Amino acid sequence: MSLLFNIVISVVLYVCFTSLNMDDVARTLLQRTLRKIPTRKLEETIKKWSHLSRRQQQSLNYTQSKWILLQKLVSFCEDNELTVRHVSELEMIYCMENPNLGTWKACHLTDAEDDATSLDLMCFKEQFKSHLAELTRNVSIKIKKHENETIWIRIAWGENFIKPNHLKPTYVVHDLQTPYVFICNLSSKNKPLLYQTLVLATKHGSIKDAHLSGRNLHAVRDLLMGNYHQTFPTNHQRPLEEMSPPPTHPNIENEHKEHAEKRQQVACEAFGEGKVPKLETATYTLETRFRGGGSIDTLVDGEKPFRTVVQFASTSLLESLHHCVSSGIADAPVSPLLSSITQKGRNYFVITDKADR
Amino acid sequence: MDVRSAVSTPVTQYTTHRRSKSYGRTFDATSRFCYTPGQLTITRIQTSRETAKARKITDKVDPEQVALLVKKEWKLSYVTPLYQFRHTKLKVYSRHLSAFIMAEKQQGMAVEVGLEAGFKVTFSTVLGMAETKDDAETVFIQIHNKPVFASEGDAPKVVWSGWLTCINGDPEYLQALPPEFVSLPLFCSSGAESLTFLVKSWFERTFDCSFGSMGLDPTDLHWLAALWTGCHSENNIRSLKLVWTLPSQPPLDVSLTVNAQDAWDLWDKVRQQDSTDNSISIEEVKRFITGIESHFFRHFKVYLSAGVLKKVSTALGSVHLDGKIKITCSDYMTTVLTLLTECAILKMPILPGC
Repeated sequence: MSLLFNIVISVVLYVCFTSLNMDDVARTLLQRTLRKIPTRKLEETIKKWSHLSRRQQQSLNYTQSKWILLQKLVSFCEDNELTVRHVSELEMIYCMENPNLGTWKACHLTDAEDDATSLDLMCFKEQFKSHLAELTRNVSIKIKKHENETIWIRIAWGENFIKPNHLKPTYVVHDLQTPYVFICNLSSKNKPLLYQTLVLATKHGSIKDAHLSGRNLHAVRDLLMGNYHQTFPTNHQRPLEEMSPPPTHPNIENEHKEHAEKRQQVACEAFGEGKVPKLETATYTLETRFRGGGSIDTLVDGEKPFRTVVQFASTSLLESLHHCVSSGIADAPVSPLLSSITQKGRNYFVITDKADR
Repeated sequence: MDVRSAVSTPVTQYTTHRRSKSYGRTFDATSRFCYTPGQLTITRIQTSRETAKARKITDKVDPEQVALLVKKEWKLSYVTPLYQFRHTKLKVYSRHLSAFIMAEKQQGMAVEVGLEAGFKVTFSTVLGMAETKDDAETVFIQIHNKPVFASEGDAPKVVWSGWLTCINGDPEYLQALPPEFVSLPLFCSSGAESLTFLVKSWFERTFDCSFGSMGLDPTDLHWLAALWTGCHSENNIRSLKLVWTLPSQPPLDVSLTVNAQDAWDLWDKVRQQDSTDNSISIEEVKRFITGIESHFFRHFKVYLSAGVLKKVSTALGSVHLDGKIKITCSDYMTTVLTLLTECAILKMPILPGC
């Protein structure tokens, strides 16, 4: 009798359990992720995700309002008993296709070991997971390969008695055999853990902040790798394209043209030309002597630095600066502080006077 | 229907001797106000000001009322003098403006919406704000709204607020106004644009005045930058932030945040050159700003003068060229409002000789 009773109970429990086949975390993550994805991209992303059956996918009508669509998607996922792992995969797929949803910070790996260049994906994957698991408990890691050699890592951090927080994951992007790592949404608490894991897994000696950040991952990466149309200094003047100065005296015209060409050349040398990486900001912390010119200079204590923070911001910073130089808003030759953005691949600088160094 | 009629009948009696829309500005032929606008601006622009002194404004004014004015960003407008405005009739105005807004909102609506679900306006006087005997007392307006789907116990929410003020208004101008006019040239509003529009149109109908948007000058921003920086010795400004926009393609924003102590030191040095204790001259302000601009130029070789100074902010407040102000510290309110009152009077249209 009691055996039968037990069976009944376990059946009831089983039924209860299966009716709640998606836990709260998975459901919240699913809803948040789906809400983030615009309707026009939804179909493609769902297809790539491949956790819905063909029949389920076909029954979705993408012309319906998003709210109805989301309800249907959530119910399909419940039917398929999908877990947090599956749902986080969906988020990852969307993030990989649209890597402009947060601020990416670049880091520089240094002191490569001899075998760093022969590292392959499987080895990296294994090393990364085991090293991070050693350092902290309750962490959920997902590693995927995207285009060529780019590795995408999604980390949901937890603590000893706290489950991984899947709602605020850290994303890490790394191309094997390059010294750069790009990180999005990393808290300062988890920074040392991730840094140590990266150093060990990529077989490098140390890692440091590259002082470059931006919302567009591709731009940050292209700038660091010099992957854009660069112009190198030359003594030969290049003919200027797309310039039609108003007709004036030929001599004036020539002179203007020469100036414009020179400025254009200088601008291209400093900031590249054509399609340049879309960087949003550049920040300078100036701790230099006050140089206001005129009579004030002598008045202000020459020893003390005049502390200011200067930020340049634009939808496409390099384009703006290029235009400033070619139109004369900025003087040529370009200030080394500005040309350092492309030359050093950085957008954060601390500037002090030479004597202080 | 009686709601509408209450609104469409103006409360003022238009008498025959009422002057044309001259806004009380055509009083005295010898007054300098009757010169051409260009000359007028030259004669009236301030070239020196008093330094900003911390004043516990809450000693004179009800702290609760002061709290309503600070820490909010206000959109600025100027208002020409109000005809037959009475501070004693605020209750009536509250009723009329409520009715006006209700009527306007109901236009084109198929369903009758009960008054309970609608807008409630309160006018109040902020006593003690006025600085001189010529300044009219500040008037504060709040619009409360109870959402249509709110439950019984829900208190109505403040959806719009605004105020009209005059602080240290030019005495010559104020005294020359005919007695039936009250001048509260500075109008600050915060809330939905549609409500601002309705409030403005009610004022225009009721007091035969006119409103205009009030953009500020870069010079006004320079003044405030210098005035606020000067306060640092008494009240920490945290930092002085200046934001320029340069006309490149795409536009480039340059923000320069100066350490508070360093900004004050620079201002102090500029002030020492010609030390007149209580007044600041425009030359000093210009020298201060030019100093900061050239320090920037020495580093970046970018001409800030090619662009325009858009915003100035410190811990005491912030101001935007488009005519937006936020006062965070009430101690220096009088100084800021004096400057803005002056700007408002300057911005008003002048109709010479009518």
